[in-house]
Order: sequence, then structure tokens, then C-alpha cells
Amino acid sequence: MDYTKQIKEIAGKLFSEEKIDVFIGYRNSGFDENQVPVLIHHYQDVDQLVFTEKSVFNLTNYLKYEHTRNKRVGLVVKGCDSRALNLMLTENQVKRENLYIVGIACEGVVDEAGQKAQNCLECVMPDSVVFDEMLGTPSGKREYQVNADIRELDGKELTERLTYFEEVFENCIRCNACRHSCPLCYCDKCCIDQETSTLYHGANTTSSAFHALMTWSLHLAGRCVDCRNCEKACPSHLPLHLLHKQNEKVVYENFQEHQAGMIEGDRGAFYKYSMSDPDDFIM
Amino acid sequence: METEVIEKIVSIEKPHLEAPPDWQPVIMGILCNWCSYAGSDLTGTSRIQYPPNIRIIRIPCSSRVDPWFIIKSLQTTADGVLVSGCHPGDCHYISGNYYARRRFLVTKKLLNFVGYHEDRVQFSWVSAAEGQKFANVVAKVTEDIKKLGPLRLYKKENS
Amino acid sequence: MNLTTYSTDSAGLQAFYEAIINAHETYAPVEKFGKYDFKKVDSLAGCDPDSPIPQTMSVKSLFFPKSAKVMKYTATSEGTELSDTTEDPLAGKRVVLGVKHCDARGLQVLDAVYKWDYIDTDYEKRRENTILISPRCDQAVTHCFCTSLDYDVENLDAMDVAVIHVGDGKVYLQARTEKGKNFLKENNKGLSAANGAAKEEMKKQYDKFAGSFRLSMDYKEINEKMQDKFDSPAFEEVSSNCVSCNTCAFVCPTCHCFKISDEKIRDKGVRYKSYDSCNNVYFTLMAGGHNPRPVKYRRWRQRSMHKFVYYKERFGVNLCIGCGKCTISCPVNISIFEVVNKVVNTMQE
Repeated sequence: MDYTKQIKEIAGKLFSEEKIDVFIGYRNSGFDENQVPVLIHHYQDVDQLVFTEKSVFNLTNYLKYEHTRNKRVGLVVKGCDSRALNLMLTENQVKRENLYIVGIACEGVVDEAGQKAQNCLECVMPDSVVFDEMLGTPSGKREYQVNADIRELDGKELTERLTYFEEVFENCIRCNACRHSCPLCYCDKCCIDQETSTLYHGANTTSSAFHALMTWSLHLAGRCVDCRNCEKACPSHLPLHLLHKQNEKVVYENFQEHQAGMIEGDRGAFYKYSMSDPDDFIM
Repeated sequence: METEVIEKIVSIEKPHLEAPPDWQPVIMGILCNWCSYAGSDLTGTSRIQYPPNIRIIRIPCSSRVDPWFIIKSLQTTADGVLVSGCHPGDCHYISGNYYARRRFLVTKKLLNFVGYHEDRVQFSWVSAAEGQKFANVVAKVTEDIKKLGPLRLYKKENS
Repeated sequence: MNLTTYSTDSAGLQAFYEAIINAHETYAPVEKFGKYDFKKVDSLAGCDPDSPIPQTMSVKSLFFPKSAKVMKYTATSEGTELSDTTEDPLAGKRVVLGVKHCDARGLQVLDAVYKWDYIDTDYEKRRENTILISPRCDQAVTHCFCTSLDYDVENLDAMDVAVIHVGDGKVYLQARTEKGKNFLKENNKGLSAANGAAKEEMKKQYDKFAGSFRLSMDYKEINEKMQDKFDSPAFEEVSSNCVSCNTCAFVCPTCHCFKISDEKIRDKGVRYKSYDSCNNVYFTLMAGGHNPRPVKYRRWRQRSMHKFVYYKERFGVNLCIGCGKCTISCPVNISIFEVVNKVVNTMQE
């Protein structure tokens, strides 16, 4: 998967036709084999752009910041990124007419070890769902499968799960990197930011981590697109995907197979309802 | 129970954690203003007896319940949470409880996933006319929580 | 100071570690979710004193924990009663194994700020009661540049006891401080005094290590040129892809900003001191709503200027120690090395 040449061409064309103010893509870090997201403002910088299977970070995250607000933006999106973008569009965070979207028919990105990333193995929609231009051959929607880790944990006893998650919360240092790197956590003042709400725990304790991660994942339930930006950002390498995948599973199984951001204009699972939603757990 | 000294977070929630002899559970009752709160009122005016363990908070609609209300309650003093609203179709705001229903399910399942017993958080539909049902619901929740014992997990440390 | 040096082999070192763990309260890197953090250990099996550098969190958490109790209070009808917190869990006599050299150096840098003006007694006590046993690195990893900063890395004064693997399974243990000397004297079972070749072999090991660095810079030049770069447009450029996630400050061995918060239920509460980060948008938010650093580049400017200019001016040493932890943890791989170099080399209009 190497679309470096095409992306350079597209970005160059967009700048020369003055269709965009800023282009968001990836460049080689120059220090290691990783890639760094880059915001390009001028035609002459277009040559930095690359796109390979190491282009991991979800770029829609940058649409939250002041650099791109009210500007015409071109950006590269993979399948999962485009689903996040779809939700941002639906939730009126960005304007479609300000965006030029280069969609990718993604073949999966690699993780730190160089293996195909776990979320790519379970990807339900590798192709960009919203785009102005598509690179690669779309392979179409895939069947949903329950995450292997979730299946494994589900088979365990309650107390085992408790001990496992206790370690997760204990190792959290409350840096909030998960919330900041999530494209769908676009609130200026997040309810898990410790400074803005006295209702929340101010200290970086385990109870604070429990509260924050649980609330955060529930606010993303039915919206999370499994791009795993949060997990990449976590300095303690916590398995944050477990919380999201669990919610995704419950949402998929119970709410008409809802999958976040698949269809343009489709809102998160908690923003709509059906008369036939399960009711048996309520007295 | 009240503001109990919890120096270190106790590691494992046992189904039958040994409770002090005089222990009584604290249950947070989050009730919708239009049905369940009126229902609980009816319970009182009808002189129906129900366990005094519940502490009631009135909210405008069951869809006002953000999942963190539940988490926060469990982290401070509550051993269990009961959220109650109007029956489907009866919502004062037309569809609030339909939205709430979805959130409740996901919240309940996630809490269970991270190791809380399912019965810690319970939901009910109680209308303004169901005084007896409210009493029954509170009795059942109290019974369930008593069986589970005190909850000490991830409590906010304040001493 | 007359340095006490012992020599042993790999098995002897394991036995030495084992003996320490049995006799003292010991902290060592413990792996969890692929990341090593310093935790209390009971046996050598559960920990790894030679944990890989990129996956190891900084040892700062044992001296400046992510969250520590400052005091307790109870509100009564007569007023507020204050009381000291219960015993500080980190204040006891303890030994820390597997501290990376950059971490140990970071503590030395931190001493300056903690022992200046107001003396942080908690920190001081924790430092005093701790013996750092620390293996010298054999190989620099991708983002290391500690040899480029104002500290002679060959000098091991930041550690109490230095562990040097010189190859062929041979290991030297060298006491670098008075504390370390006494400690080694008490725990020298199975160790033999080193012979004359020790110095030479250690030097050789260092040369090999120093040769493995990819990154190098001239810190003097950076310190000097950064001073008038406050208005540099380069900050805007380098910070444009930052996501303000705070990770860099939380993993940094020398970042020491904290916030104070109260955890309270009804009338009882505890005051906590927890990590904070200057990359956090709320860091400079004042009561009344004014925020002098509302945008990313200003926060990045503060961060890099503090690391390379302000701290140097005040304490004569750079706050950055070149460990590369921030770059490794950064979700978008921003490197402080790259940032400062870019800022210094960007022409100002």
C-alpha cells in the first residue's frame, strides 16, 4: 500500500488551483521509521508527503484544532478515519464544503512490531466511506466479528475480570492522552478534564482513572470507530480498546446492528432509538 | 458505611463479602420527575412500607441520566443504583426514555464487563399510579444489594 | 573519593539482586501491558532490572508520584480541622533496581529545583532513603541523545551503585556515592574486589556505548541561540501536529509541574498533589477566564524554553536530559530534539 505519488499529485494540484488552505497528510519522521502527521500550507512543501502502511495516526483529529477551523482543508483518510469524519460531519463539527477528502482503500496499517494491526484484522470497512477522490481498489464492507479479547474476557469469571481491569485502572496515569487523541472527543471542555469540573476527581488516583475511562468510553459508545488513536497515545500501553469493543459489541448486537459512521448522516447509537430495543433488563 | 476509611482499594468484589453486623446498604435512587418520583410519592401517601435504604434524587427525565451519575454514585457512598423512569410511550418529553433505555443497557453491560455484579445497577419503569410497584422494586433492589454485600471498589479516597 | 569496585559474573549479579530483594524493600521495573513501571517486588522473577529503555517508564514516580496526599481536612461546625496524612508509602528505606542512567540523572537535575527556595521535605526524605542501583546502558536506542547534553555520561555520579556489564558475562559493581559505598560494603556477599583492569574495561564499555548514538547536538549552541527565539515563527510550525495530549510531560523524568486538588465526600476530604503538564490547555487558565497560553505553539514554546533556557539560567543545567521518552510515547512522534534544532536553525524575519 503506497500512495505517496498520487497524494503528492493531488495535494499539488489542490494548492495550485487554490482549492485548499492546508493539507493534512503524513511525512517520514526522519529520526526513525515512523511517520509524523504534517500540516502543509504551501505548494513547495508538498514533496514531504508520504502514504504507506505506516501511516497510522487518524488525521481527522486535527480538524478539532484552531489550525484548521474555518479553513479549506484537504486530508487523507483511511476507512476507519473516514467513519470518524462522517460522524464529525453529522455532528456539525466540520463543514463538508470546506473539506477535500482523499479516501484510501486501505489494506491495513502496521503496529509497532511491524505486524498488521489488530484493528485492521477486524476492520469492517477498509474503504473510505466519504471522499472526493478514492485511491486504490475498494474491497467492500466486511462482516462484523466480535473481538477476540472480548470473547476471551467474557468467558472469564466476574472476579477475574475485576482483577484484570483493576490493573488497567491502576496503571493509568491520567494524562488524558486518550481523550486528546480521539477525533470524536472534540468538546473544548471535556467532562473528564480534571480542571473544568468539580464533579470529577481532580487527583490522578485509581478511582479517578476508573471514573474517567468508564465515562469516556460510555460517551463514545456507539460512536467509536476503532481507529485506536487512544491506544497508540497511551503512555502506559493500556488496552483501552477493550472498553470500546465491549460497547461496540453490545450496540451491534442489540441496536439493529448499528455501526458508527458507516452511512453519511447516520448519528451515533445513543442519538436515535427504536421501539423494539431490548427491554427485558428493566423491571 | 457513610464516609468509610478506605486506604487501599480492596481488590476483589466477592459475591458474599462479609459485611459488618449492623451494615445497611445505601442505594442511590435516580427517579424521573414525571412518573417514578410521583410514583414514590404515591407509595408514601398510600402508606405502603418499603426499605429505607434508598436515597432519592429527582431528575427531569430518565434520559437526563448520564452514565457517570451511576459511576459517581457507586464511587462515593452507594452500594447500588436504581434508575427509574416512565413506561415506554409515557415519557413526558415524548421519547426521552427510549434514548435512556439504550444508554442503560450499554452502561449495565460495561459495568458488568469490568467486574461489577449485574445487580449493582438496576433499572425500572414505574408510573405515577404504581405505588405498590415502586415499593416492590425498592424491596427487590435492597434485597439484591444486601446479598452482594458492601461495595468498596474504586471508591473515592477521602481519608 | 576512593571508588569501591567489585567484580562478579552474571550469575553473581542475579544472586546479588536476589539478596537485595530478600533483605530490603525493593522497587524494580515490572512489566504490565508491554510497559515497565517501577513497582515494589518480592522476587527477581517478577521484575526485570535490565528492562528495555524505550518501554520503561521514568523512575520519577517513586519520588514524585502521579498522585500524593498532602493533607486531610474535616469541616466541623467550629471550623476546618487539618491533619497530616498517614505515613508516606515512599518514604521508607528502600532500594531501586534497574534505574536507567538518564532517569538517575533526571533525579539529579530535579534535586536543584526541589532543594531551592522552598525545600520539599517529602521529596528530600524519599531521595535520602533510596539507594539507586542502576545498570549502565550498553546500546543507545533510536531517540537517545544523553551524551549531547551538559553532563559527562561517562561519569556515573547520579547513581549510588553502578552496574557495568563489560561483556563475556563479566560485571562490575561500582559505588559512586558515600551511601552506595556503605550499601555495597554491607551487601558484598559473593562479590570480589575488582582488579586493576576494571577501569580500562569500563572505559572500553563506555566507548562502545558512546559510539552507538545516532543523534548528537551542541547544547551550548542551543542554549545560546534559543534565548532570542521567543518570537520565532518556528514554534508555530513545529507544534502544528501536536495533539496536546500531555503524554510528554507525564513520562518525562524531569517534568515536575503539579496541580493541587481536593477529593471530598461530604465534610471530609484529602488534598492531593498530582502531575500536570504545561501542554495542557488549562495549565495557565486563571480564575476569571484569562489564559495566556490558549494555543498550542505558546505551550510548546514554554515547554522547550523551560527545558533549554529558563532552567539553565536559574540552575545552570539543562532540564532536558536527552532520554527520548517523550518522543517514544508521543502519539505523533514529535521529537524534542528535532523541535529545538528546528527552532534554532530557523531564520527570524
